[in-house]
Amino acid sequence: MSAVRHPSPFRRRGLNDRQLALVLVLPTAVILVTLQLYPFLLALHDSFFETDIYTGEQTLNWLTNYTTVLTAPGTRDAFVRSMVFIVGCMVIQTISGLVIALLLNAGLRGQTLARGLTFFPYMVPAIVAALAFRISFNEIYGIVDYVLLQVKAITHPISFLTDTHTVMFTIIVVTSWKFIPFMTIALLARLQTLPRDMVEAAKVDGAGRFRSFWYITLPWLAPVLLVAMLLRTIWSATEFDTPFLVAFGGPLEASTLVPIRIRTLYLQELEVGQACALAISIALLMAIASFFYLRAYHRVEAQAG
Amino acid sequence: VLLLGAIIISDLPLLWITIESLKPDVEIIHYPPDILPIAPSLKNFSDLFFYEPFGRFMLNSTIIASVSTALVVILGTAAAYSFVRFNFIFLRGLGEASLFAYMIPSILLLVPIARLALSAHLENQSIALIAIYTARLLPFALWTLRSYFQGISIELEQAAMVDGCTRFGAFVRVVVPQAIPGMIATAVFTFNAAWSEYLFSSTLMTSPMAMTVSPGIVMLSSGSGLIHWGVQMAASVLITLPVLVLFIIGQSQLVETWGEGAVKG
Repeated sequence: MSAVRHPSPFRRRGLNDRQLALVLVLPTAVILVTLQLYPFLLALHDSFFETDIYTGEQTLNWLTNYTTVLTAPGTRDAFVRSMVFIVGCMVIQTISGLVIALLLNAGLRGQTLARGLTFFPYMVPAIVAALAFRISFNEIYGIVDYVLLQVKAITHPISFLTDTHTVMFTIIVVTSWKFIPFMTIALLARLQTLPRDMVEAAKVDGAGRFRSFWYITLPWLAPVLLVAMLLRTIWSATEFDTPFLVAFGGPLEASTLVPIRIRTLYLQELEVGQACALAISIALLMAIASFFYLRAYHRVEAQAG
Repeated sequence: VLLLGAIIISDLPLLWITIESLKPDVEIIHYPPDILPIAPSLKNFSDLFFYEPFGRFMLNSTIIASVSTALVVILGTAAAYSFVRFNFIFLRGLGEASLFAYMIPSILLLVPIARLALSAHLENQSIALIAIYTARLLPFALWTLRSYFQGISIELEQAAMVDGCTRFGAFVRVVVPQAIPGMIATAVFTFNAAWSEYLFSSTLMTSPMAMTVSPGIVMLSSGSGLIHWGVQMAASVLITLPVLVLFIIGQSQLVETWGEGAVKG
């Protein structure tokens, strides 16, 4: 934080700096404390209590919510699905984001337009992304199955949405489609700061394209790549809207990820304590994941300089 | 060629829903599918407003997203400026708190916030969503605007103060005009997020009159049991349009600011 206080002779009337700073941040502070910090503490509190949703009565039951919810078969399945979802999204988004960022940085014609066109999915409302894929992936009249059948890539239509085995693939594809641009944007911003002379030097030394990518571009990108991957891990683990709107957790709960399970526990099973316990558990897991990412980040950054 | 492929994958689904929105339902579920509509019409769009309260959903979303955006940008600008220019202990505490809030996922706050809203009888009230969106989106705005203010030199501001401006006067007349591109990028991001949010909205706004666009479209499909694809496609096109306009207006700004925000973390 670059703190520069102007010398007092300039100040003639009005508030002093301290009062002004207070006035400027007070509304923000109030909002963050009442609507972020307080609900967070409330979730923590509720996770240790049995709550009667009708009377609002709460009885302390220590870790019972945690043991109940974490050992329930439904939760374990949701965790497995979320892991598949996170890893699937991560692989697709990282590779595609990297490739697109490199292409956008290659100095081809129509760069600005191409950038806009590839970034737009990031802005598309989740419900629109979901509907666009739901209609295209329909097993009876969907265009995707039709095209695949025409080019003889498949012999029977694939039930992208109604088959318990393929639905995970579908939600990963749709979510990745929407969030690849995040990776692209972050990597492209970093690529544009890559010192030209480093690339030139490699060329002079006779390094091919691949070698120069591997030894120069990739290490340069590594810190940003790690941060972007960390954010994507956290957001995939906690993303609700897109996967839910594609398949609504079905068929037969086959796409019920942990966040969807949390909402069901609260809205349908009225288990406030268990819903909070599960939410706190994934928040803890994310905190642990962040720790490892950040450790890797510091190591990589020390190398990249 | 690869880039062309990426563009096609990015935008073909959107082109496809636009085409589908012009087809009557019988054509949409016709097999084998035709690419272009045989009898293109805007009937789906007019149905959306005649038979469904879609105009109401649009209005609700517009109000909620606009008010949240205005609040986030104004409060965020004021607070981010303080973060950069002043050095008091409470500011540092708040800075940490906002980073913490940025990392709290929405799903963790769903249950406590829904319970608070219910106990305050704020279900189906726009004010509840406005408050939630403002709080959820403020931390992002703080981070983006903060790095923006760090890039603005302090000299003009000091010159204004030498000329007799108060510090607040200098902030409003000199600093804010320089920060406008950053504020636009923040506003576009905030509006977009609030416009289409589903999780909180679907949990708190259950009456059709109070619904926003995303839960509204879901209701269009589940209400009658029959799937009226055409109407849903038309609705999708309509709710994407404002976002598209915002994106075109703010594109270059957005990409830079988001890129930097993402890089700095």
